[in-house]
Amino acid sequence: MIPRFDFVRPRSLDEALKVLGENSGAMTVIAGGTDVIPGMQQGDARFWATQTVLDIHHLAELRSIVKDGAGWRLGAGLTFSEIAAHAHIRAEFPLLASAAASIGSMQIRNRATLAGNFVNNAACADSVPPLLVYDARVHVRSLTGEREMPLAEFLLAPNRTALARDELVTEILLPAVPQGYAGRFYKLGRRRGIAVSRITLALLLKVDATLVEDVRIASGAVTPIGARFPELESDVRGKSASDNLWASLAQDLGNAVLERTGLRWSSPYKLPVLQQALFGMLCDLSSARRP
Amino acid sequence: MTVRFTLNGRPVSISTAPHRRLLDVLREELNLTGTKEGCGIGECGACTVLVNGKAVNSCLVLIGQIESAIITTIEGIADGANLQPLQQNFIRAGAVQCGFCTPGVILSAYALLSENPQPTEEQVAAAISGNLCRCTGYKQIIEAVMLTAQERSAE
Repeated sequence: MIPRFDFVRPRSLDEALKVLGENSGAMTVIAGGTDVIPGMQQGDARFWATQTVLDIHHLAELRSIVKDGAGWRLGAGLTFSEIAAHAHIRAEFPLLASAAASIGSMQIRNRATLAGNFVNNAACADSVPPLLVYDARVHVRSLTGEREMPLAEFLLAPNRTALARDELVTEILLPAVPQGYAGRFYKLGRRRGIAVSRITLALLLKVDATLVEDVRIASGAVTPIGARFPELESDVRGKSASDNLWASLAQDLGNAVLERTGLRWSSPYKLPVLQQALFGMLCDLSSARRP
Repeated sequence: MTVRFTLNGRPVSISTAPHRRLLDVLREELNLTGTKEGCGIGECGACTVLVNGKAVNSCLVLIGQIESAIITTIEGIADGANLQPLQQNFIRAGAVQCGFCTPGVILSAYALLSENPQPTEEQVAAAISGNLCRCTGYKQIIEAVMLTAQERSAE
């Protein structure tokens, strides 16, 4: 049973920020509701104190997609159906488009929103690894101001972010990806539809002639929160691309994940899959480049 | 609170409590029991309805969130006593067994055919992957949707 609460449906983003700024105490913000409503239904402690639900799903200010000099600015309230179907996102940020298309089911994607996927900082948020390899930034607003930070800094710890109680995420900024990058997104769940991810990986690679100019790796679900691997990335920059390099990078990824999580019951199963997935994606990307 | 929306082509205004889900209001206040509750947490699709033409789980929508929206339930897609071709083909292909998932599956398929009148089998399977059916094994369901698409293209 869903507990009783008051419901506020603001007419604009400014009004939403005002309501939130003045009553942030026992207020729960809802957009697509695909996390909050089942949470309430199942008696999740996150919502025990909720007295008021603030609905922001219908706010047009949170649904825009615009390009500016720095890249693309995606409204925080875009649904995953909208993201998966958007021609420019598919062309310029294909990893995000594939993650979006893989989330939940059609019904979930028709409601669930981009920012809604990461504001609770769940490890299994599928959009996070792609957003991290694209160096996404998060724009947040409150009644009194606004700020912007890298997503990697926004995501603090499991179920914790840098978002203050009176703030809303309004936009996700994706810097334009320079020429020459290619990437892959990998997701493993227990089944293909409506499955919580067990492993996600996002990979961006740029190889110049034979040298690795840049590689960006982010994982989800297998790490406590979605995260990049800066040490591994800098280790291979400037090295000569080869299957051997990819094999050792994949090996190192397994070790790095083990270091972050400690040994779990699932480690002997997941780590080899993770390593093989990264190795496969790296080989796939570099063979696609060969004439 | 009072919520106004369009339900199966007719304007509705209803006074209800804000913690009610669209599903609760449809079944318990408007007596439209064609929409089923299965899991109640967005995983089985039995409660699927169309909100502004898109398939959604009505167990995941608070009633206040559908202010001004256009809602279509399984009761709204037949033309009086005449079933939709899609419904006819579910019968023809044997896609209904216990029937509990059927309203949701039909609405998911209906939304697909409205956007993509000639889907591939793969696209049909993807569109109904949010609807669990424990009877049919899905084969007959996919057949029923493909049959409907073929009839439309023959018209």
